[in-house]
Amino acid sequence: MNLSYRIYYVFLRNLISYKRFIFTTFLVSLGQPFFYLITFGIGMGAYMGAFGGKPYLYFLVPGVLISSVMMSSAAECMYGTFVKMIHEKLYDSLIATPISCEDAIAGDIAWGTFRGLISGILMLVVALLMGVLPVSLVNLVLLLLLMVFVGVLFASLSMIVSAFAPNFDFFSYYTELILTPMLFFSGVFFPLDKFPGWMKVLAQFLPLTHAVNISRSIFSGEASPGLAFNFLVLILVEIAVFFAGIKLMKRRLIK
Amino acid sequence: MKAGLFIEIFCFIAGIFFATFFVAADIPEAKRMISSITKHFFIRSYDSIKDGRIQLFIFPLLDYTVQAMNSLVTAKDLTKTFKDVTAVNGISFEIKEGECFGFLGPNGAGKTTTVRMIHCVSPITSGTLIVNGMPAHINNREIKKMTGVIPQEINLDIDLTVDENLMIHARFFDIPRAQARKRIDDYLKFVALDQKKNSKIDELSTGMKKRLLVARALINDPKLIIADEPTTGLDPQARHLIWQRLRELKRKGATLILTTQYMEEAEQLCDRLVIMHKGKILMEGAPKDLIEKVIGSEVVEIRISKDEDEKLIEKLAFASCGNERVGDTLYFYCRDGHELMKKVVEMNLTNVINRPASLEDVFLKLTGRSLIE
Repeated sequence: MNLSYRIYYVFLRNLISYKRFIFTTFLVSLGQPFFYLITFGIGMGAYMGAFGGKPYLYFLVPGVLISSVMMSSAAECMYGTFVKMIHEKLYDSLIATPISCEDAIAGDIAWGTFRGLISGILMLVVALLMGVLPVSLVNLVLLLLLMVFVGVLFASLSMIVSAFAPNFDFFSYYTELILTPMLFFSGVFFPLDKFPGWMKVLAQFLPLTHAVNISRSIFSGEASPGLAFNFLVLILVEIAVFFAGIKLMKRRLIK
Repeated sequence: MKAGLFIEIFCFIAGIFFATFFVAADIPEAKRMISSITKHFFIRSYDSIKDGRIQLFIFPLLDYTVQAMNSLVTAKDLTKTFKDVTAVNGISFEIKEGECFGFLGPNGAGKTTTVRMIHCVSPITSGTLIVNGMPAHINNREIKKMTGVIPQEINLDIDLTVDENLMIHARFFDIPRAQARKRIDDYLKFVALDQKKNSKIDELSTGMKKRLLVARALINDPKLIIADEPTTGLDPQARHLIWQRLRELKRKGATLILTTQYMEEAEQLCDRLVIMHKGKILMEGAPKDLIEKVIGSEVVEIRISKDEDEKLIEKLAFASCGNERVGDTLYFYCRDGHELMKKVVEMNLTNVINRPASLEDVFLKLTGRSLIE
């Protein structure tokens, strides 16, 4: 791994280019999860009654928040990265400078994370307007850290997908067949207790499940059972996908 | 003997002594210093030779020291294989500091692959490649720092403006903002784009984009400039502008590596070149020497049907040093076209062209006149 502080320069490049798209991307990254909150939270929540003593919205917000981070950072490192790699040949010009291939990829992962963080913060504002917030300021900071962590994870995962993608269609397979189902199997919208055993086992293999669990604990301020396990899984998965993402992408870029 | 001459010769001998010592001791800083001193001395001696003040016997010696000192890129048995294709097949060459070195060859000859290994974006399969005293490999940031690349494909950042493109590129090289600002203004003027500073990349013509690539390649004040087919697809005006700029950079002391498939470009710019074909170097030398060696000095083209070949070749053999039949044309290569042309006129052949030999003839003779896929 040939990483250096130049990751920041790659991030900076993305930040400069971002100012032309900032408005549209704000709308987009807000849109989907926002509608989830409205429809599920208010519409369905009306039928749900109290959820462990609190309104359904308290159950929903931590999950939707994390999934919006996931979706944004994942999309950035699929579509954004692919355009930069194939159409704009940006990586070719980057690696002809002192920036190494690893710097360039890690810089894009950092950028995807940042995009995820922005979406998460926007959602947080919406949640605030709906009256749902983490219990304390410390927990708010912890939540931001978790968002960064989740961003890196799914940005790296998308890098792995991008490393193999022959064209744009490949990304819709990944989004439709893996990311979207993950939303429903990871306990974002409803608890996993009523699922049959094999589904519960399956859920344990989805990183989002663990992230959502942690997020919920941060919001409520009460440690849920298995919190340490959630952390452990997330950290291990994160390290694995980060290095795998860089390695596989490098294999595609360096010839 | 004049005192000036005596001192000059003394300094020269002492210089050689120290230079040999430093080269033997392998101290890069000292080597660089020595090479610049010898260069300076070389030029002065050369002037005095023109004045007739110094004997010629020193000249070859001096030339040798300059050569030995100033090798910027050295490749030995350089090989690059992709999955099942050998793109570069065991080539060796040496590029000296301050010269323009050309890689000439048809598409797929391995030119781009070779230069990509030189500027450390493509790993080497086998062989050795030394750039500025350092081994080239993809993690060598030091080589990348001193190299400016004008890529074959336009890979400007289309999300950014002209100015932002250069600014962020300067950041990549750790150039402080104020210094970058000044260089950007200078180099935009250099490539005549100062009016387009705030334009988007989409608004530029292809020629402008290529010029911007030249400016971008210069932003780190590179010691080595790599131009990979810099004028492919450009109109004559833009081409000449880029050639002029490249020559200007060379005059200022940069070493230039040029890949091209245009013979004219190679003749215009290169001090020395190699002709590559299917991953191998077919020939190496100065453009003029290559023409002289392979073709002679003139070419006579006779457009005539194939049946006449034998008769014609027999009749004209006395004046030519080679011939070749391609399609509807019979080519004769000769040192001096006069005798041959006399005979041709005598035979009353029409459709004959007599012209000076060019690098294109060398190229076509070496790589074959038929299409290369």
